[in-house]
Amino acid sequence: MVSLRDNWRVILLVVLLLVSTFALFSPTLADGAGGGVAPGNATADGPTNLKFGLELSGGTRIRAPLVGLTAEEVQFGDDQPRVVEQNVAENIDGATSADVIARQSANASTVEVTAENVTQQEFRTALERADYEFETIRDGVTEQTRTEVVDILRDKINQAGLSGGSVQQVTTATGQHFIRIEVPDRDTSEVQQLVSERGSVVVEAYYPVEQNGSRTYQSDVVLERDDFQRIGTAQDTPSGPAVPVTVKAAVAEEFQQAMVDTGVARPGGSRCDYERNPNSTESCLLVVVDGQVVNSFGMSPGLAQSMRNGEWAEDPGFQLQTRNISEAQQVAINLRAGALPAKLDFSGDDGGTTSYISPSQGANFKTDSLITGLVAVLAVSGVVFIRYNEVKVAAPMIVTALSEVVILLGFAAGIGYPLDLSVIAGFIAVIGTGVDDLIIIADEVMAEGEVSSRRVFQSRFRKAFWVIGAAAATTIIAMSPLAVLSLGDLQGFAIFTILGVLVGVLVTRPAYGDILRTLTTTDR
Amino acid sequence: MVEFTVPEVDYTRYTNRQLAAVPLAVLAVALLVVAGWYVATGAPVNQGIEFTGGTEIQVVVGDGANPEEQIRQAFSAEPESIQSVPAEGSLYIVTFQSGDDSGPSVGANELEQQAESAGFEVRSISSVSASFGGDTQTLALIGVGIAFLGMSLLVFAMFRSFVPSIAVVISAFSDIVIPVALMNVLGIELSLGTVAALLMLIGYSVDSDILLNNHILRRSGDFYESTYRAMRTGVTMTLTSIAAMIVMTVTATLFGIQLLAAIGTVLVFGLAADLMNTYLLNLSLLRWYKFEGVNR
Repeated sequence: MVSLRDNWRVILLVVLLLVSTFALFSPTLADGAGGGVAPGNATADGPTNLKFGLELSGGTRIRAPLVGLTAEEVQFGDDQPRVVEQNVAENIDGATSADVIARQSANASTVEVTAENVTQQEFRTALERADYEFETIRDGVTEQTRTEVVDILRDKINQAGLSGGSVQQVTTATGQHFIRIEVPDRDTSEVQQLVSERGSVVVEAYYPVEQNGSRTYQSDVVLERDDFQRIGTAQDTPSGPAVPVTVKAAVAEEFQQAMVDTGVARPGGSRCDYERNPNSTESCLLVVVDGQVVNSFGMSPGLAQSMRNGEWAEDPGFQLQTRNISEAQQVAINLRAGALPAKLDFSGDDGGTTSYISPSQGANFKTDSLITGLVAVLAVSGVVFIRYNEVKVAAPMIVTALSEVVILLGFAAGIGYPLDLSVIAGFIAVIGTGVDDLIIIADEVMAEGEVSSRRVFQSRFRKAFWVIGAAAATTIIAMSPLAVLSLGDLQGFAIFTILGVLVGVLVTRPAYGDILRTLTTTDR
Repeated sequence: MVEFTVPEVDYTRYTNRQLAAVPLAVLAVALLVVAGWYVATGAPVNQGIEFTGGTEIQVVVGDGANPEEQIRQAFSAEPESIQSVPAEGSLYIVTFQSGDDSGPSVGANELEQQAESAGFEVRSISSVSASFGGDTQTLALIGVGIAFLGMSLLVFAMFRSFVPSIAVVISAFSDIVIPVALMNVLGIELSLGTVAALLMLIGYSVDSDILLNNHILRRSGDFYESTYRAMRTGVTMTLTSIAAMIVMTVTATLFGIQLLAAIGTVLVFGLAADLMNTYLLNLSLLRWYKFEGVNR
């Protein structure tokens, strides 16, 4: 099989085309292809396995930094991190220990403040007052905190049922860190609401105490997120919207005792009137989200009774009541996903970027950009046909250039890379450089009359290839900064242009040479 | 059938100085425009919201006379520009710059609400904060710089002689500066799309220069014959690309796909500049090198 060995480039091209077609259309690859390395959100729809990015499918993208300051190389002395957190928080106005994170590891100890509107100077003063030595204070939070935020946000988005959403950490070349959230089919305000709150949920007991003969109220945290064994789904119950929860056996006794001591579980149950008369109500349970009381309720006589005689702790379930169902959902999501250690910064000049594309706009862009691409290909074909006036030369040229795009599309479908406008621009660039190279090959091969022998063909082809290789190398060099730098939308453009040039130089353009040889030479 | 053949130019009628004068003069004018822009506005190009920070919102305005006036009334901030999308009669692209003197910046959420309460359908919103934009700008500059430097080094490594290499580098430089000057004159803003196009130009424009150098320096045969052969291929290449880009720009503009339209426009300018630079500037330097420079 001499011809097989001679035409291996064409065969390679055909194999690649088949593989790409398989990746594009095979239903077996429809889900989870590539192990979810997709950097953007990805929604596969339509007859192909192609995934479309935000611009072509509609949705919201938010990119924002985290609020926070970090002190490096802090000397904790003999204090535990938890103690450090308390000591530092005490010295900052408007910060609680939940806003301070102390981390101690073998080589570095850091303290972070994630409360809003704390200046570096205030933080410095607080550390000095609390008597901790430190090296430097910088803007931003630590790597661990960012990772935690990403995990929690991912969880929250999944819990909220926003399918196809993704959360990522991105770092710019100037060393700034951002959190990028993409959610298909949702508008900005909906996504912002979900991710902008810290989402720390606690249950407090609110109860009267007699002090020096006067009656004041006190509130204590009785349940935190870690105290729950099971968090149910938000539902409408006869007594209103609620989240059914089960308390861990280890803390159930303690909670039961606290209920009895604070008078929430009093004989006959308690009736809460916190909203109207906070200074004369019976004892209450408060659901507090990010320091705001979102609901208050008392306890039914039956539950109070079982707490008083100690039966409740054996089956420690109850319901966290809320005012409406959406609040119940929010509480359930926050309890399950946990509180963010630091907030996303949407305010001011550091607020990052947000973008929203409506699904109808996305669908328009999809067809419109397809038409634009096709029209560009037609224009190229037109010029090539007019120039060569010979179908034998021009037709394979167009077919070869298009096959590069098919291979790239197959690649995108295979790894699940979401197509965006910038990727489509990359395809158009690839067709452009591809046709340029094919013109070089055709002109070189057909220079000085007919090519009759294979040897002449080979030597001319090799000469043409030097120019193509050089041109490809410069294109790759020109595009590589964009592929590496996080210039947002343009990364896809650069990656696909480089890939296209590589596929072109290594596979398709040599194959075109073979096709042209078969069509123009006579000695086989 | 229509047929086009690349005409053979009789280069012998012109001296090197005459040939180089035109592209150098154009380059000088372009540099003047860019420098003038820098002096007048503090930046060498008009920057879009991706670099300065700001908000772009696309809305569909319902019936009613004078949609632009309706848009102005709807938002509390003064729009920087209002553009209509020809393919869809009632779709408008409204941009707001942040951080200039035209008033306090209004957040994307507020703008969305204002648009909705005015009865517009919001198709898309994107907002970029000023400091984020500033970073992007630095990054883009670094990107273009590295790309250009990398290209230059590669060209020098390939040809290993000064004059032919510097000819390619100067042509590529001019291919970038001329479109930038034209963008200023025509009021096209620098966006991520145009940065991409400028980078693509580095790749595209070097193609025809390498081709020319290769034919003249590495092939046997008469200088003018080699030139003609290189031109026939190179001009076809560039014209094909220009045709594709013109068509793409027109369609993308009709559909309101700004990224593709911006890339197309800048590439058309750059490729046209490349035709001139390759076959006047690069060629004259090569002829000088071949006939006079080598003998020194």
